[in-house]
Amino acid sequence: MIKDILVCLEGSASTEAATRIAIGIARSLSAQMAGLAIIDEPDIRAGSATSIGGASYKHERDDALVADAKKAADDWVALFEQRCRQAGVAARSLEIVGRPAESILTEMEAHHLTVIGRDANFRFETEAHDLRTLNTILHEAMRPVLLVPETTEPELNKTVLVAYDGSGAAKRAITSFAASGIPQGREIHVATVDDNGVVGMEMAERGVAMFRAANVPAKAHNIVSVLSNIDALFKLAKDLGAGLMVMGAFTRSRLRQLFSGSVTRGLVEQTEIPLYLQH
Amino acid sequence: MTYSTPLWAIAPFGLYLLLIATLPLFFGAFWEHNRNKLIVAALVSAPVLVYLFSGRVGGGEMLLRTTVDYVSFIALLGALFTISGGIHLRGSLAGSSGANTVFLAIGAVLGSVIGTTGASVLLIRPLLRANERRGYTTHIVVFFIFIVSNGAGLLTPLGDPPLFLGFLRGVPFTWTLRLAAPWALVNGVLLCLFTIFDRVIVAREKRSPRPRSSTSPRGTSVTEPLHLDGAVNLLWLLGIVVVVFVMGTYGTALFGDSYLRSVVQILGMVGCAVLSLLTTRREIHLANRFSWAPIIEVAVVFVGVFVTMIPALSFLGERGASLGVTKPWQFFWASGALSSVLDNAPTYLTFASLAVGVTNSGGANLSVENLGALAFHPTGQHLLAAVSCGAVFMGAITYIGNGPNFIVKSIAEQHHVRMPSFFGYTLWSFAILVPLFGIVSHIFF
Repeated sequence: MIKDILVCLEGSASTEAATRIAIGIARSLSAQMAGLAIIDEPDIRAGSATSIGGASYKHERDDALVADAKKAADDWVALFEQRCRQAGVAARSLEIVGRPAESILTEMEAHHLTVIGRDANFRFETEAHDLRTLNTILHEAMRPVLLVPETTEPELNKTVLVAYDGSGAAKRAITSFAASGIPQGREIHVATVDDNGVVGMEMAERGVAMFRAANVPAKAHNIVSVLSNIDALFKLAKDLGAGLMVMGAFTRSRLRQLFSGSVTRGLVEQTEIPLYLQH
Repeated sequence: MTYSTPLWAIAPFGLYLLLIATLPLFFGAFWEHNRNKLIVAALVSAPVLVYLFSGRVGGGEMLLRTTVDYVSFIALLGALFTISGGIHLRGSLAGSSGANTVFLAIGAVLGSVIGTTGASVLLIRPLLRANERRGYTTHIVVFFIFIVSNGAGLLTPLGDPPLFLGFLRGVPFTWTLRLAAPWALVNGVLLCLFTIFDRVIVAREKRSPRPRSSTSPRGTSVTEPLHLDGAVNLLWLLGIVVVVFVMGTYGTALFGDSYLRSVVQILGMVGCAVLSLLTTRREIHLANRFSWAPIIEVAVVFVGVFVTMIPALSFLGERGASLGVTKPWQFFWASGALSSVLDNAPTYLTFASLAVGVTNSGGANLSVENLGALAFHPTGQHLLAAVSCGAVFMGAITYIGNGPNFIVKSIAEQHHVRMPSFFGYTLWSFAILVPLFGIVSHIFF
């Protein structure tokens, strides 16, 4: 059962949604919350090619950006604490100076679940749409991550779709999700995508069996579709009215992802509902 | 044929330019301190000093001449830096495409009067304030770097450090006005392209407004009329122009070809800077965030440049013709390519010296110490024009090609403009500048 939730604080709209969803989960499970704001000073101050006479301007620019980042972190922490107080959820806050991915990976070891806004980039420099931090976290995290897009409904609804491909990561996702307490009172659907309906259904049933072993009822589905795996899963989620998708993250090696693409990346980039991901 | 300058003597120059380009990238914290820069400059210069004082004929004289050039160079940069730091442009424009284009056009002219660094520092903040409410402003800063920080500086020796180095070596003050046609073509085309770009982006923003980064406060400022504070500095600026012009044009007649001419010129420039300091209110310096750090850094780094380039320039003057770069278009592209990754001031002198060598191979008897003769030689003048255009224009290709590029980038990022990365910026310049330089090369060289 989840008793400690880490929320990564950042200024994007999806982080707003992530905080809202995290508060809802914490309230339903009587869990504690921790808000983590990061001041990415190492990247801001990282060396860069400068023209002659430019070093002092870089220094001035770095100081200004670090000060802005510190102020933004203070503001996000204050807002987070205020929202948790209003929701009656126990919460504490952390402000860390460091590289975002490293800081989050270290901190998430001490928490059962980490909630991150899908568009959070944790960088205060120049990149608007930068998923590098998120990719690193999803590739290296040992604990589950709940990724929340901006379009998420105010609260998680009662239907959950579990995308199951039989991989180790998918099994770990089911195990941790079944034990998280989130499934309580929710309708769980385990889906596979396989053109061979019999084989696919058998795999889905194995996923259902894992839930059943944890005393969580679930229903099996196999999708045979001309659509891509990503679109097929989104379509089923829509048909079922699912408000949450559970899956193993990045089950293929980075090399294979390079050549044959990644379902996880596609889902992360396009999802309109929260994703519960376990590497 | 025997040469007086050995090949190894140019190694410190190459090594030093390489260190200037790479140390900030890989050892940023080390490079931040001027003391460390001075140590690097001293270490790299040491073999050159040993070479100059160990039997090289005229080594001491060359060093003295270089020292005077160095002090003149730093005096001009320091004076322009001080005076432009005393001028503050308050208020902001509307941030419309028309206003932005006019602003850049003013910068394209001003750059040749107060130097591209002075014009960049003076104009960038008002331009950023004017566009604070817009969602996408990256292109405005990129074109600002192209035009104001680089292309603008071609018309006078005050415009860009390489041209002042040429002036110190005898190129007449008004000679660079001959380059008005390429200056007008490059800046005119860039202004037209900017207008088209900006109008397209304004139209797109109207259709779908794009939020700025999460940490940037959405601009809420209102348009204020522009107001110039510290206008008295325009007088001191005029003083610099007069000093440089008079000493360049009549200095030899007044003082002969002696060091006295240089000393008077240096004193004149320093005097204008002191007058600027005495007559500028402290609030103006505060508003401009004026500090001596940038000019001290320039002074420290250029110690090594000036010392190490002594044998390198002799080498190129002696063997220019054998290096395969002989045509004006080759000088344009070669000096430009090197200016885009190294600072353009030493690059200019390197290729101007090479031009002397090439011209001498055709029977002339020019000296790398006197580029004035090159500027009027029937074939040499074309080579010098190509070097001037290449060094000034192509300094814009990367952030490190010319001093103001990185300064503008840093100031823009402080205003939360999302500037492209080093390679991202280079893509912009390859897409826009390189084809334009191809046209310049075809028409003029």
